[in-house]
Amino acid sequence: MLMFILKSFTGQTKRITLLITFSFLMCASSFAQGLKVAAAANLQSVITVLQKDFKQRTNIDIDPIVGSSGKLVAQIKNGAPYDVFLSADMSFPESLYKDGLSAKAPVVYALGNLIICSTKDIGFERWERRLLTPSIKKIAIANPEVAPYGLAASKLLKKKGILDNVKSKMVYGESISQVNTYITTGVVDVGFTTQALVKDPANKTKLFWKLIAPKTYAPIQQGLVILKHGETNLDAERFYNYILSADAKRIFEQYGYRIQ
Amino acid sequence: MDLSPIWLTLKLAAITTLLLLIVGLPIAWWLSKGRSFFKTIIEAIITMPLVLPPSVLGFYLLLAFSPRHGIGQWLQDSFDIQLVFSFQGLVLASFIYSMPFMIGPIKSALQQLPASLTQASYTLGKTQWQTFKSVLLPNIKPSLLTAVVLTFAHTLGEFGVVLMIGGNIPNVTRVASIAVYDSVERMDYAAANSYSLILFSITFVMVISVFVFNKYQARSPLE
Repeated sequence: MLMFILKSFTGQTKRITLLITFSFLMCASSFAQGLKVAAAANLQSVITVLQKDFKQRTNIDIDPIVGSSGKLVAQIKNGAPYDVFLSADMSFPESLYKDGLSAKAPVVYALGNLIICSTKDIGFERWERRLLTPSIKKIAIANPEVAPYGLAASKLLKKKGILDNVKSKMVYGESISQVNTYITTGVVDVGFTTQALVKDPANKTKLFWKLIAPKTYAPIQQGLVILKHGETNLDAERFYNYILSADAKRIFEQYGYRIQ
Repeated sequence: MDLSPIWLTLKLAAITTLLLLIVGLPIAWWLSKGRSFFKTIIEAIITMPLVLPPSVLGFYLLLAFSPRHGIGQWLQDSFDIQLVFSFQGLVLASFIYSMPFMIGPIKSALQQLPASLTQASYTLGKTQWQTFKSVLLPNIKPSLLTAVVLTFAHTLGEFGVVLMIGGNIPNVTRVASIAVYDSVERMDYAAANSYSLILFSITFVMVISVFVFNKYQARSPLE
């Protein structure tokens, strides 16, 4: 298709031959298989940094597949050819381990930080009260059934005793990435998300936010497993060790994660 | 199983179809009469949702509906209406999304009617409206039915746009297609199967009845 268009533009055989060769080369490079890494949506920005750093150190390519942990697990259980899985919690990788889809039990690679965030300064000091006021019309959280950050947020609201009062204001993102979209485009007044959003240099929106004290919600322990598909792949092993290394830890910390 | 997503979907599809029928009929009629550059542009815009990725539509609607700027802000400030994450918003989105399915078939059918029909009616002293209502419309019944059924079915099948601007709120924006997606993510395949089977059956019955009805109608001398 592309060739056809170019051909009709240039009409020069030499150049066309060149273009054909070039496009074949491009195809060839895109067919080169990297390590398939399924990554929870909260890792959206940090995974590309890890990808670059890992490539620099080992010259191994990885292809990140980013989505909500629940969706990725459903895909893995149905035969998705992923080698390594970085989840947003422990229960999803544990269920894979139980189903025999990973040889080793999951390990925690990072602890997630939950924040409350908005494009407006809504006065975060007493956010529990602010959420109940009429000026807050829409509150975004990730779908608690599939996204661990959503579950943490929903449990937090329940613990604060305001979950039922704000239920009518709630909007559910299919993953934490969608919650980030809702927050940064300003379609919701406020949302609960990962601290990685505000630590991401790529984010150009001015955001106001407050870290939710980690003591007030169950820790978001993010689990790592090598999947059955990657069991015999040495690169998967190297990536696994890299994620648990001090080098990766530094990057995680820069992006608003805690390390145990 | 929670049947509310099915009811919500049927409600959305019914309202969208009704609105599109009311608005679409005059537009289709206007488009069917003669040609001009302006008409071509309008027709192109109406047809575009057919080929445009739903994510493009969803993205622009998300921005347009945002209460932080533009139209969304104006609606919010003047009428206290928020379209994003609301049922009304879904109706508007479905309206745009299904427009070609309503207007396309009706326009083509009107164009294929012999001009002598309209002329004869005018000669007999009938007004434009009377001609449209009593002469043209009865003659395009099969296409009208096709348009209505396809619009309804297409709205049932809406997914990408709703995923982007819906917010998955039970009873408000969690339509059946979203409920399927949700159930699959939750690994609740039984629920996903029930929703899917219901959608599958409804769509199948609808499409097949159009085929059966149109085959029967095809025997009419004007077809």
